[in-house]
Amino acid sequence: MSESIKLGLFTYDIKNGLGLIGYNVDEHEHAHIIVETSKCNDCSHMMCVWGCPAQCYNFRDQGLKEMKFQYEDCVECGTCYIMCDQGAVSWNHPRGGFGITYSQG
Amino acid sequence: MDDETDFDVIIIGAGFAGAATAFQLLKEGIEGDRILVVDRGEPIGSKNLTGGILWGRELDDFEEFLGNWEMDCPGIERCINHKKVGFLSNEDALFVEGRFASWDGTGGTDEPSQRSSWSVLRAKADAWMAEKMEEAGIFVMGGMKIDQLHIDGLDHSSYDARDLTDPAEDSGTGSAQKWKVDNLPKELVDKIRNGTIAGIVQDGDIMTSKAVVIAEGSNSVITRAYHFDSMLHAQSKDDMLLGVKEVIHLGKERIDERFNCFAGDDERPPSGMAMELALSLYRDMSHEAWEKYPNTKGLYPRCGGFFYTNRDTVSCGIIVQLKSLPEGLHTYDLYQAFKSQPAIAALIEGGEAIEYGGHLCPEYGLHRMPHRFTRDGAVVVGDAAGLVFANGMQIQGMNNALHSGKLAGKAIAACITNGDLSAKALDATYTKSLKASYIFRDLKRFEPATKFLNNPANFTWVPELVGKTANRVFREIGEEKVTAEKVLRQVRKEMRAENKANKKGMGLFGMLKLALMGRKL
Repeated sequence: MSESIKLGLFTYDIKNGLGLIGYNVDEHEHAHIIVETSKCNDCSHMMCVWGCPAQCYNFRDQGLKEMKFQYEDCVECGTCYIMCDQGAVSWNHPRGGFGITYSQG
Repeated sequence: MDDETDFDVIIIGAGFAGAATAFQLLKEGIEGDRILVVDRGEPIGSKNLTGGILWGRELDDFEEFLGNWEMDCPGIERCINHKKVGFLSNEDALFVEGRFASWDGTGGTDEPSQRSSWSVLRAKADAWMAEKMEEAGIFVMGGMKIDQLHIDGLDHSSYDARDLTDPAEDSGTGSAQKWKVDNLPKELVDKIRNGTIAGIVQDGDIMTSKAVVIAEGSNSVITRAYHFDSMLHAQSKDDMLLGVKEVIHLGKERIDERFNCFAGDDERPPSGMAMELALSLYRDMSHEAWEKYPNTKGLYPRCGGFFYTNRDTVSCGIIVQLKSLPEGLHTYDLYQAFKSQPAIAALIEGGEAIEYGGHLCPEYGLHRMPHRFTRDGAVVVGDAAGLVFANGMQIQGMNNALHSGKLAGKAIAACITNGDLSAKALDATYTKSLKASYIFRDLKRFEPATKFLNNPANFTWVPELVGKTANRVFREIGEEKVTAEKVLRQVRKEMRAENKANKKGMGLFGMLKLALMGRKL
């Protein structure tokens, strides 16, 4: 979490938010997003990291030396595909019946 | 035209645009069993998310299928009868509130037509709408992701759909990016992009139709892959907003009480509040981020806040222009800063978050709007076509989705009768009616407003200036009172002295320019 949120009434970890969402996670071989993380090393901006509302992308912001991507928490918004200009993100929707399951929406 | 197709029309996406197309086709006389609606959500609606408010009474046109949708649809939550707009900075909040008895029918004029906006939860609303489609005899299939469109005369196994949208192996970076599709044989690509669309492909099986309607929503993978014009735009962060929201449970009684809502009765839905906010919450966060990531120094995130009451819950969230996001700030932290602002925190106090989510929303404006809404055998509707009215503070997409679906339904039915579903014929009907509709007229009419509301000042110092001024004007500290104008000047001076970033934007010239733009609203 960013240190900037010192405003007060909430201390928040995005994982709490993600814990509220229903998922039917598909097997790894059917991951709907494939990130070629070797291309991330030369990326100067990491806009996927900042844009993703579900913290699926973890990199230098979390003190990591290499990009660590996980598709499991994805909310299927498509932000990373739009933000990446390094050619690292291959994006498609999960197979039918898999992925996020909003009950409110 | 060959009548041996599996269906007359296949609709991809069971959201409002898809459902409206299907219902309209029925009204035009197309048989329900000749219409197939597929959706990747299982149950239907489970992939959808809105802020969100549905504006207008577009659904009334489908009364024969939906009955009393206002009362019966579980996702149509509350009828909005009071609306707030406001300015929010870290400490201060100033709201302007309008309360309109006629909007909920408690003010004597109990005509249903006065009710014109509802808070909506899409997972519930879409599931209900899908039920109604089935009851009307339409084929509806959930849990079905479409892999490819079926192109007349093209073997779908000759290419992989992912290759149409993936970056190339040796992709390059920035604007010099290369795409896999450019390495495919030219002849093949030409067929994929210009051939006649004749159905859908799922798991290797083809289902054919005379027309395909693409109603896949804002994250438009198929629209991009098959090179409708919007593809070119949809890949750019310049035209996209990201909504991040939580649904927070407070309970119906507490909401009725806290927001002064009408509880509803047998004939009228409960009333509710809709609030849209200009935020200057992110200055300090941005400055901290710039220190670590100087690449985007000077960039403030342009965010709007929204807060809507549902029946038992509230929808609380922000919408951020992706092009304005500086390095170093996570979108979920922007949301948390909004939620933590004391005025917002007070509204959700005692509540329990039950769902978190994120969703893209296109914001093309009039000039960047895609100009190709059709192909031979197919049309694009709703969010997938970018038909969203967004002006920086207010966003309307669902009514446009319903309306474009209706226009598409009418056009396709007419084209089926004439036996011509070419892009030319669809343009002469669908595209033409779309451009003459309120969707495009609104975009045109409100262009100056959009420009004004998108001014960076409105996302940085304006809300703070307004809040601080109001704070002092309303406060009594036992000193001689001065005019609001004097207070405003004083606050402005202090803000400029306090923060370097305010030096430039808050100059007299900048303020004058902003005021002149505002006059055109």
